[in-house]
Amino acid sequence: MRWITDIERGRQLCLHCRKLHTLDVHVCDRCGSPVHQRIPHSIPLTWSLALAAIVFLIPANLLPMMVVQSIAGEDAGTIMDGVIYFLEHGEAGIGIVIFLASIFIPFFKLTVLFYLLLIVHFKWYARAKLGLKLFRIIHFIGKWSMLDIFVVALMVGIVQFKHLATIVTGPAAIAFMMAVLITMFATETFDPRLMFDTLIKLQEEKHSHPQGSSHD
Amino acid sequence: MIERKETACRDCGVIVSLPLHPASSQYRCPRCNALLYRRGQPFGYIIVMALTSLVLFVPLTFLPILDLNIMGLHASSSLFEALWMVYRDGYGFIAFVSMMTGLLIPVLMILLLLMILVPLKMGYRPTRVALWFRLYEKMREWGMAEVYLVAIVVAIIKLLGMGTLHIGPGFFVFIFFFLTYYITTVWFNPEDIWFDDALDH
Repeated sequence: MRWITDIERGRQLCLHCRKLHTLDVHVCDRCGSPVHQRIPHSIPLTWSLALAAIVFLIPANLLPMMVVQSIAGEDAGTIMDGVIYFLEHGEAGIGIVIFLASIFIPFFKLTVLFYLLLIVHFKWYARAKLGLKLFRIIHFIGKWSMLDIFVVALMVGIVQFKHLATIVTGPAAIAFMMAVLITMFATETFDPRLMFDTLIKLQEEKHSHPQGSSHD
Repeated sequence: MIERKETACRDCGVIVSLPLHPASSQYRCPRCNALLYRRGQPFGYIIVMALTSLVLFVPLTFLPILDLNIMGLHASSSLFEALWMVYRDGYGFIAFVSMMTGLLIPVLMILLLLMILVPLKMGYRPTRVALWFRLYEKMREWGMAEVYLVAIVVAIIKLLGMGTLHIGPGFFVFIFFFLTYYITTVWFNPEDIWFDDALDH
């Protein structure tokens, strides 16, 4: 089946209120948002944000998330220390939740983002639908990486017992939060339509070589 | 002949024509299955749910969510007090982002919805409706009340080993705040405010 897209029809969609405009419109007359046919600079922005997120993830995983100061001394734990603590103390469920939210999801998101960028770069149209499914997954789970930040904030807020036991925010928290926010921005700047646009070029090439067989 | 309007799929760019007055409760993209249209609830329902949510937010600002006892020493904290401690540790940015995403963006979204819907329900179109709508749409990605809720549960389990823990009333209020906030945003279909007949919706 041949799909007609906004590019072939000379239309552009307002991503905020979903009104369809002609190409001469720059600001949506209905909701006032800037209108573009594709998100401007989507690919270079997504590349740089994804790479920046990797830089922040390194200190996020090596430095302590929170420091417990008690009469027994100071105990600084990284994210992974926290996961191991729960697995060893018979709280496997909570350990798995923290592992998924803080370690698996950030790395999964970045892996998917790079895969999506490669789909656009190498014009792998056949993988566009898979790419879109993965894009929807990372879009949905992105905010859950903030879980550990909220947990640290709550622990710090409640455990304030002067010399007996006090929890202090660790330096990894800020690095981890930056990584989460930057990956969320990277997901928002990526335009999934670019993966499908490669089909237009493929069809144009097919048109000039009529002997080529149909794939779609 | 049914009146139709053209739209494009925001995920794959394909041009689709939808009925101007949709008969079905939702329409999906024929190529990539993205949601193109989902019917919203009447504005009156959404306003009532949004007001409930707003009322529930008020006690959240001072009610304690957790109350911990270690060897006779006692500490309790509300959601805002917990973030104040993070700010005092020198991590103001963490406190700011947590407060925005976990608490303030959800309640601001509710306020913006009320600012849009109450005048429409009363029969006139507010002059700044486009601006408020854009702010609402921008915030949608960043409201994380549900993540905050699960974080409280995780914190409770983590703290159980440290001393005697009592769950404060703030926690239960937060559950109901989140539910009403969530239902409000699901019921609201932003496209409804642009229809010409939005005024007597």
